Amino acid sequence: MIDTDLTPDTELVEIHFAAGLPGFPNARTYALAPWGSDDSPFMMMSAVDDVDVGFVVVTPWVFYPDYEFELDASTAERLGVIDPEDVVVVCVVTLADRAEDATVNLLGPIVINRATREACQAVLPSSGYEVRAPLARAA
Amino acid sequence: MLVLTRRANQSIMIGHDIVVTVLEVRGDQVRLGIKAPRSVDVHREEVFASLQQANQAAAKSPKELANAPLPEVPAPADR
Repeated sequence: MIDTDLTPDTELVEIHFAAGLPGFPNARTYALAPWGSDDSPFMMMSAVDDVDVGFVVVTPWVFYPDYEFELDASTAERLGVIDPEDVVVVCVVTLADRAEDATVNLLGPIVINRATREACQAVLPSSGYEVRAPLARAA
Repeated sequence: MLVLTRRANQSIMIGHDIVVTVLEVRGDQVRLGIKAPRSVDVHREEVFASLQQANQAAAKSPKELANAPLPEVPAPADR
C-alpha cells in the first residue's frame, strides 16, 4: 500500500530528477507546492531553473481509487527506496480549455523518494494504463 | 549509424558506464540487458515518445496553468 501524503508539514518541497523528464532533459529540480483550493489534491510542480516549465500534478487515487502498480526493481534501486512507505506518487495532469477535457498520465507516474527527494517518471508499459486517462467522471 | 555484430552473452559499451548485453536471440526478437547510471533513463523508444509527447502537452508556465480550469474533484464518499 502506497502512502499518498506528501510531507504535509512542508508547503514547498524541492525534488530532483537525476535523469530529467522525457521531453525536458535539462530541468532536473522542481518545486512542489499546493495548487487550487485548500483541500485540493492538485499540486504545481514547477522547474526551479525555468519559469516557463510547470506541471499540474495530482494524487492519482483521488480520481482512480483502484490505480495500482508494482515499482520495478531497477526504478526502486535508482531511487534508493526499500520500503513502499518511502514512496510518494503523483501523476501529471494535462489541463484543457474545458475542465472536463483534462486528462491524467497514469502510464508514467512520478515516483518520489520521500526521504531523499529523488524522483523519476516511472513507466508501466504492460499495465494497460493510459497516458491520457480522463479526469472527469463520465456522468 | 554504427553497426556492430554481437552474439548472445556479448556486450557493447556506450561511453564508459553503459553496458548493453545481448541476453537471448529468438526468431525476430532480441532480449537485451542494459546497465546504466542513475542519470540515464532507459525506455523502449515508442514508450519514451509517448511520455515525451504527453509531458510536452502538459507543461506550461505556472502563470498560464493558473488560467486553466481544474477538473471537479470527486467527493470523498465516491472515492
